[in-house]
Amino acid sequence: MKQAVISCLHANLAAVEAVLADIDQQGINTITCLGDLVGYGPQPNEVVNLIRQRNIPTCQGCWDEDIIDGLNACECSYPSQLAERRGHRAHHWTEQQLTEDNKAFLATLPMTLRRNSHLFVHGSPNSQHEYLLPDMSAFAALERVDSAGAEILFCGHTHQPYVRELSEGSIQVKVQGNKEAPVEHELKLPVRRIVNAGSVGEPRHGGTKATYVIHDDNTQEITIHEVEYDVAATCQAIVNAGLPEVFAWRLSHGFEYAERADDASHVCER
Amino acid sequence: MGHIWLITGPPGCGKTNWILNTLQNHSGPKAYLQLHGHSSNELEQAGNVGIDRAWLKDQIPDLQHAEVNAELVQEPQKDQLTLIEWPQFHPPKTVGIEGADPSLLNTLSGMNLSPQRVLNFGCDAELPDQDTLRFTRLESWSLNLHGQVWDPNSLSSFWFELVNGAYGDVYRAKALMNLPDGRAFLCNWMVSQPSSQFLPLKNVLPPLGRPQRTSELVVQGKALNSPGIESTIHDCLLSDEALELHQAPLREQFNQQQSTPSLV
Amino acid sequence: MERWALISGLHGDLDLYEQIQRDLSTQRGIESLFVLGDLISSERNCDALLSRLRKPKRNDLKPDCIYGWWEEQLLAECGYRGERNAEVLRLERGEDAIQALLTAVGPGHAEWLASLQFGFIELDCALMHGSSADVGDQLTPTRSPLILLDRLTRLNVNRLFTARCGEQFRIELTGGSMASRVQDLSGEHQQEHTVPKRSVIGIGKGASYTIYTPANDHLEFRTIGERNTATHARGQGFA
Repeated sequence: MKQAVISCLHANLAAVEAVLADIDQQGINTITCLGDLVGYGPQPNEVVNLIRQRNIPTCQGCWDEDIIDGLNACECSYPSQLAERRGHRAHHWTEQQLTEDNKAFLATLPMTLRRNSHLFVHGSPNSQHEYLLPDMSAFAALERVDSAGAEILFCGHTHQPYVRELSEGSIQVKVQGNKEAPVEHELKLPVRRIVNAGSVGEPRHGGTKATYVIHDDNTQEITIHEVEYDVAATCQAIVNAGLPEVFAWRLSHGFEYAERADDASHVCER
Repeated sequence: MGHIWLITGPPGCGKTNWILNTLQNHSGPKAYLQLHGHSSNELEQAGNVGIDRAWLKDQIPDLQHAEVNAELVQEPQKDQLTLIEWPQFHPPKTVGIEGADPSLLNTLSGMNLSPQRVLNFGCDAELPDQDTLRFTRLESWSLNLHGQVWDPNSLSSFWFELVNGAYGDVYRAKALMNLPDGRAFLCNWMVSQPSSQFLPLKNVLPPLGRPQRTSELVVQGKALNSPGIESTIHDCLLSDEALELHQAPLREQFNQQQSTPSLV
Repeated sequence: MERWALISGLHGDLDLYEQIQRDLSTQRGIESLFVLGDLISSERNCDALLSRLRKPKRNDLKPDCIYGWWEEQLLAECGYRGERNAEVLRLERGEDAIQALLTAVGPGHAEWLASLQFGFIELDCALMHGSSADVGDQLTPTRSPLILLDRLTRLNVNRLFTARCGEQFRIELTGGSMASRVQDLSGEHQQEHTVPKRSVIGIGKGASYTIYTPANDHLEFRTIGERNTATHARGQGFA
């Protein structure tokens, strides 16, 4: 059986529709969403309504949380004053646009979802704001999956899709107490995978196509999929909505709406 | 008896850079005069906003500016080299002073100036020509940024957007920008170049509030979205409070350096 | 060579603290005293100890303090942690313990405790009460090495000194590796990662404390009054 995982929709209706059509065309019925339904993009209600209509299980993203709880991330979230102001402007616009019903829906979203040995999160099992980058310490990455009691961890937040397999791992330790002789032992580490679904609505991989992933339970294969969509339609919607026009330029050129902070490993203290 | 040379050429061809190199290589007194070129409906000059003058003065502290003192060019010192810059879109029909724009000749005559040499980017072989472009249509827009200070990372983002077309087709962008640590940069982009130049000014100001020196942005291109540019710039500039946050720790260091006697 | 003394779990006991100061004064080269949290508890009135820590006597080794689990409970209950309260203490020991804690610390000291840092980073060593994951994080020799390595990696330090579990130990990560295969839109990339040589050190609590020499990575687990026999030397050291 195959399942699809999507993430970081960012109120981009044309992209979400294109991705769901692509998934439907392959006859896949199990879809999980890793949050950030809204944020920066011009169609927050439309995207939330679509996810609700399709009954797609969704975990809460950092943007979804910010809409419900208010903006209180620390300054490290943005690398520049420009990015911070654009982010705040987009937050306030989104918060004003969303219906109370859709806000209530975002508030009900769980931090994590679990299906057998698969765990679904927005950022990491620790936080919606932690980036699990493909080049982070392999041991720290394995700790995230293993501590959560999962074999495959599906995450988003970075907007850059990847599949990472961690294998043949071991750690040797020597333990010395106050009065005892030292004891040495070796821990063999299990094989685990981290899968980042990329972003449907705001790609950061250098192109404009939406991305998502498919996991095949029979073959255990995980594939990354790119889907073209009508970027111009979303750009027009950005302009019509009164959002900064430069958002349309950035989206149409494959750039994120606002840069992410350099220290991706930093987790906001709240 | 000094030497007066007239340098002409279209925007971004490298006049200021050539002038800088030439003046730096001249050991005697040096003077510079920038004249305002002509605009038409299709081709707008950048306007004499002072960027080139401020940049050259920073790089050559003993450079004298003829706008301030006309006698400098009219009664030059012995061995003085005076370079007069005249922005001009179209190349002259003939080389030398005879080929110069008649209005330029009038202006020079009114100032009692007779250049011994006229060099035109696009005509004279001794001048570099890789950045000498022919424009048929060019809009021009500028913004006075005197006293304004940029958030450094925001400046990088804004400049990237500007030269990559987020606010219209930009062929030429030039600016003097202030940073909160007292440094300033000449930012320079020309569509014929693969990347922008960010050249630091030699003069670094102490972290004592808003800098009082020339700071401007000039953009030339097509279909320029000036409200968009201004809106983004507004998001990039530091408020008084934000500037103080940047400068307060630097001021402590600066005060310590001032009070520590240096060994001779 | 500079040596550090690391103590924790004073629990408001001024007598204990004075004994430790006397014990330290008999040893050479100790230039820094780090108090890794749990200065207070609900057991006794803590004001005398806190006053002494804030205003050391002339012959005291001056203490550098961080907050620990007990401080976190007090500060949460006093409103220094937003909407949180001392829920963990309440669950573990009940409302009586909360009231006893609030009585044990005078109002003037709470603000000082709130000003203490979560930990110190000194010379590639992290000094924490629990770990950077949580002040209550119990790092022990039985905890998975994967967790221990994660706690070291988060801070990017070679040594993590922890006090929460109250035990004295040194856990050295001596080797190991892992294969990482990443597939993304640009293709497939393989890498081998090796375990860095790092340690987690439990410093003890109360009368049991630790002396550390950063220059040669030399550890001594001590208890007040014991002669100096327990040494755990690493590295060649310097003459």
